[in-house]
Amino acid sequence: MGATDGGREPGSGQFVQRLAAATCSLLGIGSTVPVLAQEEPTWALDTSFLYYGESDERVQDLSLNVLARRLFADDKVLSFGLVYDSLTGASPSGAIPLNEVQTFTRPSGNDVYTVQPGELPLDDTFLDTRYALTATWQQPLGRLYTGSVGLSFSTEYDYTHAGLNFGITRDFNTRNTPLSLGAAIARDEIDPEGGAPLPLAPMGNIGDLSARRPGTEDKDVVDLLIGVTQVVNEHLLVQVNYSLSDSSGYLNDPYKILTVVDPATGEGIARVPAPGTAGPLHEYRFESRPDQRTKHSLFVQGKYYMGGKVLDVSWRYMTDDWEIDSHTLEAKLRWPLGDRGWVEPHLRFYTQTEAEFYRPSLPVGELPEFASADYRLAPFDAWTAGLKYGFRTASGNEAGIRLEYYRQDGSVPDGLLIGNQDGDALSPELDAVILTVSYGFDL
Amino acid sequence: MTGRRGLVALATCAICAGSGCSSMGVEPWERGVLAKPEMQLVVDPLEAGIDDHIYFSKEASSGGRGFGGGGCGCN
Repeated sequence: MGATDGGREPGSGQFVQRLAAATCSLLGIGSTVPVLAQEEPTWALDTSFLYYGESDERVQDLSLNVLARRLFADDKVLSFGLVYDSLTGASPSGAIPLNEVQTFTRPSGNDVYTVQPGELPLDDTFLDTRYALTATWQQPLGRLYTGSVGLSFSTEYDYTHAGLNFGITRDFNTRNTPLSLGAAIARDEIDPEGGAPLPLAPMGNIGDLSARRPGTEDKDVVDLLIGVTQVVNEHLLVQVNYSLSDSSGYLNDPYKILTVVDPATGEGIARVPAPGTAGPLHEYRFESRPDQRTKHSLFVQGKYYMGGKVLDVSWRYMTDDWEIDSHTLEAKLRWPLGDRGWVEPHLRFYTQTEAEFYRPSLPVGELPEFASADYRLAPFDAWTAGLKYGFRTASGNEAGIRLEYYRQDGSVPDGLLIGNQDGDALSPELDAVILTVSYGFDL
Repeated sequence: MTGRRGLVALATCAICAGSGCSSMGVEPWERGVLAKPEMQLVVDPLEAGIDDHIYFSKEASSGGRGFGGGGCGCN
């Protein structure tokens, strides 16, 4: 929630500016407004409920989000964030639809599940609860600098994250050109159900965990960000960020697999489970990704005020050493409605190329060093269209409701198809609804 | 190639912050519009966080506006 509409009178102008600065610090970016003094410490609370639902019984997420900010005199800000996610549903496993019934061993190795002919294989054991906590302290450092330090922690069934971040902003050009530097480090631990499969290991029968590595795997992430914001004139603001993100360690998705296929026809390879046990009826292998990834992002945002309306436009270019390139274009137009309300249409377009090791299936006998059929590493376009309505209550608090539609559309390039495979059939389409209801108030 | 792109972006930021944009900007008494909450770069931090988390889970890119780190088993 923007939480901080000027309606929190009186003195709300100062309040807004302080919160804006605190917000930017939380995100590791610079603010264009000076933090002003506040006589009495106050709490500002933003709350939000999210429903995210994908079609075809895929992922559903119910999420509660709270951001609490304590504003002290002398311009210091303490912030806490809390997120609770409840996830259910099914996620594409990476296997392709076949003309026969398919059977898969569950990640635990204790059971099997079946997928009908022609259907996209989904792993329906996706069920998780996630908690995420953040804490940030921000304060001025002399007349021109603002510094921040933050902690982040999150936990779910098979994943734990702990991170630390720092930021510093220096004002140039009489506060018209803040320059921000940020750094974040994180250590994530993954404890996959049934152990981490060895790269490209075949999926085994029930009870066969011989190709799994027991215990936890870990991943280190380092993020660096430099950003400059420029006040162009009384109505126009532009920001440019460059960021570098380096991940190393276990970067596989332990639950993603590839279908092993006949190199001539592209059909699955039949497999017979050992007598007396159940297991896959076709051959599958677990994915294998490099253990290092470096991403570069360039982000440009402009905000333009047009007689009460605000246009917010941004573009992000991302490129990485997995050969993925992406562009994200986003636009929002905030349009006032009466004294207290506003509507905001939102459009987002995203496009990405595939990772160099992406392949929808694996010809039998071929064992490349790296291979993944994860749809998130495939080439696709995505659209989001949405509308938000927000209003200030009589007591000066702010409420909002937002409904959005998200669609992913991809097609496997001909060069990656084998035999009779159909590129459209191998690209799972994704439709999702995003609903948020938010409320912000002061204590 | 990617390293060179990074350097170009860095140089752009540094030049802009140093001097190149010093002819732009406003005086302190001209900040009325810029100080409005709806003119902040991130108007709604919770909504920005929610969106980042959704797209991080469904796409190969993350970050840009702020840190793209992660903290989720969903990608």
